[in-house]
Amino acid sequence: MLDTYREVITPEGVPLHLPVAGPLPRALAWAIDFVIRVGSLMMLSIPLAFLGGFGQGLYLGLMFLLMWAYTIVQEACWGRTLGKRAMGLRVVASDGGPIGWMSAITRNLLRTVDMLPFGYALGLLSSLFDAHGRRLGDLVAGTVVIHQSAPPVGGTVPVGSVLAPPQPLQPAEQAAVVDFAERAPRLSVPRQQELADIASPLTESHGQVGVLRLYAMANWLLGRR
Amino acid sequence: MRQEQFVARYQAEWQALEHWLAQRGERPRQARRQAAPDGVDDADFPQRYRRLCQQLALARRRGYSPQLVARLQQLMQQGHTLLYRTPRPQWRRALAFLFADFPQLVRSQARSMWVAAALFVVPLVGSFALILWRPELIHLLMDNARIAEFERMYDPASPNLGRDSGTNWTMFGYYIMNNISIGLRTFAFGLIAGVGTVLVMLFNGVGIGSVAGHLQHIGHGDPFWRFVAGHGAFELTAIVIAGGAGLQLGMKLLAPGRRRRIDALVEGGVIGAKLCVGVAAMLLIAAFIEAFWSSIAAIPAWGKYSVAAVLWTTVIVWLWRGGRGAVDAD
Repeated sequence: MLDTYREVITPEGVPLHLPVAGPLPRALAWAIDFVIRVGSLMMLSIPLAFLGGFGQGLYLGLMFLLMWAYTIVQEACWGRTLGKRAMGLRVVASDGGPIGWMSAITRNLLRTVDMLPFGYALGLLSSLFDAHGRRLGDLVAGTVVIHQSAPPVGGTVPVGSVLAPPQPLQPAEQAAVVDFAERAPRLSVPRQQELADIASPLTESHGQVGVLRLYAMANWLLGRR
Repeated sequence: MRQEQFVARYQAEWQALEHWLAQRGERPRQARRQAAPDGVDDADFPQRYRRLCQQLALARRRGYSPQLVARLQQLMQQGHTLLYRTPRPQWRRALAFLFADFPQLVRSQARSMWVAAALFVVPLVGSFALILWRPELIHLLMDNARIAEFERMYDPASPNLGRDSGTNWTMFGYYIMNNISIGLRTFAFGLIAGVGTVLVMLFNGVGIGSVAGHLQHIGHGDPFWRFVAGHGAFELTAIVIAGGAGLQLGMKLLAPGRRRRIDALVEGGVIGAKLCVGVAAMLLIAAFIEAFWSSIAAIPAWGKYSVAAVLWTTVIVWLWRGGRGAVDAD
């Protein structure tokens, strides 16, 4: 499959598809986190300035927490920081499970190396070369950043005539026919016909007739008789 | 079985599971206090999840439509995340880690720790001796402003030791921010084949040694030693342990042994993360001592040194004996 899926076989023996996130959405998530961190620190610095030395100490302590603990705690507890949540990303272990505290600590401490020599250059290089877009911290922590998959858009095959395919179809071909029939009602008519024409050896027709024949075959394949 | 029949047969099951996941998935702890949502009992979830996995495998094998497969896949993924969730951390476990597991872990990496200690102590002692022998060499290592700052910090006439200005609380925050960050970075730089960590250890050793040598030479030695003796027990050992953690990670990259490099690195990452938790805790204690005890100039030398002796003994006994004889919890 020409896609950035990472396939993992779960203990139950079914493959899990992890849609791996590339550097760009991750950089945006980082930027959002950065704005949140700097913003909250600046907001808090105003009341803390009134507390004198104690406030100054608290400010530095907060700076430490925002620098190191912000990402670690959020990723360990919820699998994503606020920025990742906004970008629809999530950090998971390389076997698809939630990451634990140790992985969260490792991957965030090693940001220090990914940032070298400037602006996450090493991390970018690493994620461009790795098949699953992992930066160095991800490699060592055994984690991967994935897109939180949106719920699949429901579509139903229009109920109509039923037609058995002229020849037996392979499972993948059957799936392609049903998939076309489920998605086609949301496409424009010329596009429907264009796609249906690809299957003209099967439908033995062109244009709108081909589309309707594919619908009918999908109905047959779905078991509507 | 055709797809329509398949969906008709299991639709109710999937909807119940979707409903249950929506209620239980994101906030498991709050949800546990409420009654179970109708349909699925909490205890039934693993069984239902495995049924779903079987249905998903069937749907794939029989070539059902990608939309149906995607729906089941997503349901299964949510279930997977929930079922294989990591256990919540426990306070008792954290204490056991600090008192037993951490010293054990440090001892298990003894070779890296001793190398890190040598990389730190040898340049420290060396530069200290060098500055005492040829005091003008300090100007090679740091500029005049920095030297003057150190001289002010350890002025015997100053009411506070080890600082220019700032209250105890300010300095506590500063030490947390500065020292713990240095410790954590020392570990992280180990990933560059250990080179980063070696450099950090050498620079720290030379820096501390030369400052100590210079202060000793100009006669500010007494306030300096009174200041560093106490918190040094935790701070210097923590830096060495962070260095050792970085070196073992670097060695995992250079000499992975009979494993794939990536597997060796993952193992080194877990060890490093655990060590870093301990290092951060040690540096937090050190920051507290440094801010609230070490800085008091009024306490006479014998008071400072006897407390320092107690602290050093504590750290050494803790690291040497801690967790010995305990059964491995994992």
